Amino acid sequence: MSNGMSQGELAHALGVSRQTINSIENGRYLPSLPLALAIARNFGKSVEAIFIPDQEETS
Amino acid sequence: MTHARAQGHRGASAAILGAGGGALAAATWIGGEHILSIGLIIFYALAGAGAYLWAGRDSDVGAIMRVGGDERQRHLDRDATALSGLAMGCTAVVGAIVTAARDHGDIGGYGLVCFVGGVTYALSLFILQRRS
Repeated sequence: MSNGMSQGELAHALGVSRQTINSIENGRYLPSLPLALAIARNFGKSVEAIFIPDQEETS
Repeated sequence: MTHARAQGHRGASAAILGAGGGALAAATWIGGEHILSIGLIIFYALAGAGAYLWAGRDSDVGAIMRVGGDERQRHLDRDATALSGLAMGCTAVVGAIVTAARDHGDIGGYGLVCFVGGVTYALSLFILQRRS
């Protein structure tokens, strides 16, 4: 996730903690559907464009 | 939104420690162990102060101690609670078995803990599966 925003700024915009944004970015935490939609909306992209499954990412 | 962060209360964990420790200290005082009671008050006062300071930190544990984390932090709290419940349940079952062997079949207080744990689990499962 990169849009010129810091993790703290994104966390503040989404109403979650910076630690949660860090975990999502590093693939340690899968967000709920509402949070995934909020992240996608924040970046102006679809959920699939941001949360790419591993097999599609590597192929 | 379900993911919205709740700030919680910084003094939440300290208040829980204070209430629990205060009740334990009062019971110990009533039981006649005055020195132990004063020791408990000092211990829980220090623990409460530590909890208050820790709850002010910008961390997962700090947010959980404020009882106001986001969805991931609430998930962490739930998992940790489940694991601690499992450890307590195992301890109660082992304690009941050992006590039964030692006291001619009387499982004592461990039996009550096992009963409450079992009934709570069954009721929770019944209610939660109807809600989801």
